[in-house]
Amino acid sequence: MSLAEKAPTHLEGGPRPGDALKFEVDKLLTCVHCGFCLPACPTYRLLGDENDSPRGRLHLMRAVAEGRLDPATPAFQLHLDRCLGCRACETVCPSGVRYGELLEVARDEVARAGGMRWSVRAMLGLFARPAATRAAMAVARAVRATGLPALMARLLPSWRWMAGLRLASGMLAASARWPGLRETGRHLEESGEDTVAPLGRGHVLERASGGGTDGSADAPSERVGLFLGCVQQGLFGHVNEATARVLTVNDLRTMDVPGQVCCGALHVHGGDLETARALARANVDAFTAAGAEMVIVNAAGCGAVMKEYDLLLEHDPVYAERARAFAASVRDLSEVLAGRGLCRGAPLSLTITTDAPCHLLHAQGVAQTPAKMLDAVPGLRVVMLRGAEECCGGAGIYGVTHPDLGGQIGADKVAAVIATDADVVVTPNPGCVMQIGAGLATERVRTRTLQPVEILDESYRQAGRYQ
Amino acid sequence: MPHQLTRALRALVGDGGLITEPSRLIAYESDGLVAYRYLPRAVVLPTDTDQAAAVLARLHRDRIPFVPRGAGTGLSGGALATGEAVLVSTSRMNRIVALDPIARVARVQAGVVNADLSAAALPYGLQYAPDPSSQAACTLGGNVAENSGGPHCLKYGVTSRWVTGLTFVLPNGRVLELGGWGRDAPGYDLVGVVVGSEGCFGLVTEIEVRLTPIPEGVRTLLAIFDDLEAAGTAVTGIIASGLLPCALEIIDAETIRAVEASVFAAGYPTDAGAALVVEMDGTDAGLDAEADHAEACCRAAGASEVRRARSERERLTLWKGRKKAFGAMGRIAPDMLVQDATVPRTRLPNVLHQVGEIGRTYGLRIANVFHGGDGNLHPIILFDRRDPDEVARVDLASREIMRACVAAGGTITGEHGVGIDKREYMELVFSPTELQLMAAVEAVFDPLGLCNPEKVLPAGWRGSLPKRADQDRVRERGASVANPADPVAGLEGLLPHDRVRIGDAAAPWSAWGGSPPPVVLPRATEEAVAVILRANAEGWRVALAGSGTWLGSLDSGSPPDLVLSTAHMDRVLEYEPGDLTMTVEAGMRLSALDHRLARNRQWWPLDPPGRRRTLGAVVSTGVSGPTGAAWGGPRDLALGLSAVTGDGRAFRAGGRVVKNVAGFDLVRLLVGSCGTLAFVGDVTLRLFPRPAMDRTLVVRGACLEQLREAVSVAASHRVTPTAVELLECSRSNGHSREAILGVRLVGSAERVREERRLMREVLLGVDAGVVDELATRATEEFWREVRLLEEETDLALRLSAPREQTSKLIEAARSVGQMRDGRNALVGLPVSLAMSGGASALRVAVRDLCVESGAAEHWAEHLTGLRRTLAHYGGSLTVVRAPTGILRRLHKLAPPGPMGELMTGLKAVFDPAGILPAIHVPVDLPARNGGGLAKT
Ligand SMILES: Cc1cc2nc3c(=O)[nH]c(=O)nc-3n(C[C@H](O)[C@H](O)[C@H](O)COP(=O)(O)OP(=O)(O)OC[C@H]3O[C@@H](n4cnc5c(N)ncnc54)[C@H](O)[C@@H]3O)c2cc1C
Ligand code: SF4
Ligand code: SF4
Ligand code: SF4
Repeated sequence: MSLAEKAPTHLEGGPRPGDALKFEVDKLLTCVHCGFCLPACPTYRLLGDENDSPRGRLHLMRAVAEGRLDPATPAFQLHLDRCLGCRACETVCPSGVRYGELLEVARDEVARAGGMRWSVRAMLGLFARPAATRAAMAVARAVRATGLPALMARLLPSWRWMAGLRLASGMLAASARWPGLRETGRHLEESGEDTVAPLGRGHVLERASGGGTDGSADAPSERVGLFLGCVQQGLFGHVNEATARVLTVNDLRTMDVPGQVCCGALHVHGGDLETARALARANVDAFTAAGAEMVIVNAAGCGAVMKEYDLLLEHDPVYAERARAFAASVRDLSEVLAGRGLCRGAPLSLTITTDAPCHLLHAQGVAQTPAKMLDAVPGLRVVMLRGAEECCGGAGIYGVTHPDLGGQIGADKVAAVIATDADVVVTPNPGCVMQIGAGLATERVRTRTLQPVEILDESYRQAGRYQ
Repeated sequence: MPHQLTRALRALVGDGGLITEPSRLIAYESDGLVAYRYLPRAVVLPTDTDQAAAVLARLHRDRIPFVPRGAGTGLSGGALATGEAVLVSTSRMNRIVALDPIARVARVQAGVVNADLSAAALPYGLQYAPDPSSQAACTLGGNVAENSGGPHCLKYGVTSRWVTGLTFVLPNGRVLELGGWGRDAPGYDLVGVVVGSEGCFGLVTEIEVRLTPIPEGVRTLLAIFDDLEAAGTAVTGIIASGLLPCALEIIDAETIRAVEASVFAAGYPTDAGAALVVEMDGTDAGLDAEADHAEACCRAAGASEVRRARSERERLTLWKGRKKAFGAMGRIAPDMLVQDATVPRTRLPNVLHQVGEIGRTYGLRIANVFHGGDGNLHPIILFDRRDPDEVARVDLASREIMRACVAAGGTITGEHGVGIDKREYMELVFSPTELQLMAAVEAVFDPLGLCNPEKVLPAGWRGSLPKRADQDRVRERGASVANPADPVAGLEGLLPHDRVRIGDAAAPWSAWGGSPPPVVLPRATEEAVAVILRANAEGWRVALAGSGTWLGSLDSGSPPDLVLSTAHMDRVLEYEPGDLTMTVEAGMRLSALDHRLARNRQWWPLDPPGRRRTLGAVVSTGVSGPTGAAWGGPRDLALGLSAVTGDGRAFRAGGRVVKNVAGFDLVRLLVGSCGTLAFVGDVTLRLFPRPAMDRTLVVRGACLEQLREAVSVAASHRVTPTAVELLECSRSNGHSREAILGVRLVGSAERVREERRLMREVLLGVDAGVVDELATRATEEFWREVRLLEEETDLALRLSAPREQTSKLIEAARSVGQMRDGRNALVGLPVSLAMSGGASALRVAVRDLCVESGAAEHWAEHLTGLRRTLAHYGGSLTVVRAPTGILRRLHKLAPPGPMGELMTGLKAVFDPAGILPAIHVPVDLPARNGGGLAKT
């Protein structure tokens, strides 16, 4: 079945402007206008305009729902467009406003009102077609292999379109495997237990809109499907391989899941809910057909949206039930690993710092687990990252659609990383790896950006766990 | 908006700083109170004082009203754009300008978020004490405007206690520096007046605050009770036992059930009638004993269970039910209204009972969360706004709750402010005279009514500017009429004879030389009103006095026609130990007060300089003395007062409750006004439990310089002594000196013992010399000497300078006694010095100053030179007492310029005919006089 066939027919003609938000008015009303979310919002902190704050955006949505504001108004589009979707506002909201969901609906309104940019439309179109995605990724890998992007990231000047090219080069370069990781062994005598203690429910954020799922729940050792993702598989294939190896060492063998497609995160955030729903249906079908009882995702951005497939397909008469079951079976890799008594690896001599991807911390409500899974690697020196809970400015395609704003938000993150003087900053999300990595490359610092599972994988390799 | 104006504003703040499209103004139509919506005309986002001033000046030119806005978390609608105003938001003014961890002060832009300041101070072990529940979001500008409090203000006090200076833009765009750390700003306490003015007086752009050490230890208890009364009894017991917890928070049954049913479930028993959170902090030693004590009080009041936090995690769990209450309540009903009112603490059980009744009468669910220690209630009314009938009932119930609180001696708001929401309740608490005065004070700052229109004062009260006092005219008449109608004759029949003293009997009040003016000693405020009215009719000039010990010391004018003294008004009018408040007549002496309070093991911790000090005088002069740094000054410790204006209008200001933000604060205006505005008849004081132990350590040295370091280590130590004072007295030959440093520690026995040990350690650490502990008698002797430093002296000054300039400060103080006279001969007079706390201020006293003709000129020049030098280093010199000849050359009437206009304007509000002494300020008062803390 092709994606086009999965597209729904029951919404033929489409609702009138503002209808979708009207539908959500109860969710909008949970916002009591207390303003607690203002300082948590990167765009508000930067711009100081309440229209660029969570409360302001919700208020605009409410005005649309009340019929006081036309969703086609440029201001409405501009301010929703500028939202990173980082959902830091959800974590601090005492009233449990489900901002992420409302944002998706609102962006859908904008898209319907014809407010989607052509660049976004093109990008979303690309990711909706698996074959096209694969082709684009292959081209990107080939370019990366020339070594040119790494060079351009360091050397290009920061003016006008050059800056954009520099950022893109840096991002591409940052996705490459780091050979230096192999050199970090210390060959110390391994000491202590062979496994580390599992983390209890402590990693679940306590917040009004609900916390993450509990990864420590009994996981079947068979029937585990690994979600590969399009960027993750296209540019970070080595990370997916590492993930499979690490899971195997810890008694979780992943099965082959053919037919899986892009998670649809970009489409959800971009306001193309229809395509997102089509992609979601395809993934639900693929994993159900393979008989997976648990879906492990190693990219925070993908996991966040997949855990919410139930909401995405809420009104789908055929898929609603299956989507609920599917969403409940999705786990972030770090949740699964931190929730188990992890096998210990060989010591690595590295100073690391951990950044928390918004899509893990704020969207999934999962904290601490990426750091926790590295407890299995002895010898690491861990330094705190100031503002680890703040967005890196990558936010999916934000860095591309809003280079200025994204760049300014990203600059804070890069400065914080530089201040740690760590060898490696780890973050379990390809988008963040590329965004932070590009920033570090243009600043010409030696700190590398990796996904945490790469560290664990190397530690296992040196410990001889793969022999 | 006119096109031209838009263009002009855009030129000032740039594209990103101006919002005019209606679709983008929607986000600004409400603040934390969503019941109202006002679409602003435009929103302007300046980035600093200069931009803000230019914006206000431009708006002023077109007579366009504006409303200051911080984070918009206010719950009284204060930041709503009423009156088609332009919103001026501080969201881009979020820079911490300077932070000095040693002097413990910070200067921030008004848009800095409260919690961000504490986070910046954290690495130095410091914090910004006021902690409103909204601290993660609200701005310091908003806190200043609302005089915000928080759960911990029971011990630490509200915003006004921590704000030392402001950069302030008047509605016409003129910039003023008010106060400033390390400075004695001359004239009225304008900082105190602007704090709590709800953004109606102008825009605050920068704020200077004091920081305080993060307490070493904290103990938190949660006690569960079967009913609210029992929880209230426990609070009373805790306070009566002499403990001073930093928080006492009560949560009622309805709230407990809501919290437990939410994701924030904190594990409180759901069948409980009430829960009480008790928190104590301070030096670790002794805290456990205090916690035991508090636990015993709870158990004695019938607590069914008492839990104690053993870790920070457990502590947060115990607090959770309180902190998350609003969030949890918000989700059991579509809408909720958080009310805010204060009553004297002992009336809480009764008022809560009434609130319950009101809820039943109107068929509304009302839950209660409140600050039990200071009587601040927050009834939460649950409703659904889609039900118009219910909305109407919410309104009626709110009004009834306010009535009940006012009837119980409380007030209509303890921390959220009046804003737009409570304007109509103002008449419940204030008389027409009081509202008139507030309106007139507002008009002094904002004569055109452009700033935050339609707020605070009920409709129709916003007054016009009263007539300027024509003080010169009054003075001229006094001088030209050879024999103004004889006051003694004029008083005939007005008062009983024993109220008037003349001749020798009046001598104790005479400070002007020649024959003393008659003294009138009323027995009650009504009698004072009669005298003042008569004085207005006759054109007499009246000086206000207590015991008369300082009279005339600051008045460079000619003697008044009569002195009105409170010396015979010394009754206790109201004393409820459980409320920790007392209302006394202004003539009560401090010694008598202390005596009276000791019986109930309470105290009023101020010890200002002087002898035979009456409360009225202490409040009037606003001087705090050595304990001020730790406990606050009269402006923090006087909760309310009743007074009579210069034209005979009796009024009350403030109230009997610790937290009170209803209306503009006239108390802080009168404190420190030195009898130029109104006759103070009685004062309501904020009391504290009397510490069980009170010890003073001393170190002796040869001179001030030798002990300088010891002063700063003692004062900046985490234990925060109640007083640190360094005294240096010269022998009469002017050559030999002796210095002595006193460090006063008070508290429970365990705590004082521990703090004494720590203090000895740090003093030995800086090699200060032998550390002794004074015996009781010697302790009293030492502090008496500190208190009487200026007594019987001819010249008394207060010098201050920023911390980095301490050597310049001392140098200046030393040179006070070194002056060249008319024949260019060096005069060397012995000076006595006293240095308080942070080494930034010095009191200087010179005895035996003989001012023959001609010398006054030289002295005035000498002092003016010193004042210039100090000003150059960012400091100041204030004359506390000097011979008239010198004073006349140093002081003048408030100068022209915005600051002087404000002061004369305020004076005219209270004393339109100018029968009270004029306000004097130093001759060379600069137009912008502020700021101890360097700006970067
Ligand atoms: C959930 C919640 C809990 C709260 N808890 C508390 C509490 O515990 N204690 C408490 O006291 N308050 C509390 N509040 C009320 C509110 O947070 C405080 O009043 C706070 O000080 C307002 O700050 P703001 O920056 O949001 O000011 P805003 O709401 O933006 O403005 C408040 C007022 O200040 C004026 N103003 C703002 N900035 C300036 C400036 N720079 N110059 C002049 N005027 C200015 C405005 O005109 C307005 O009148 C709470 C509010 C909420 C929503
Ligand atoms: S914190 Fe939540 S309730 Fe408060 S304004 Fe933001 S979204 Fe609304
Ligand atoms: S998702 Fe992030 S950027 Fe968007 S409103 Fe929330 S905090 Fe701001
Ligand atoms: S991918 Fe994401 S949204 Fe997510 S952390 Fe990075 S930039 Fe923020």
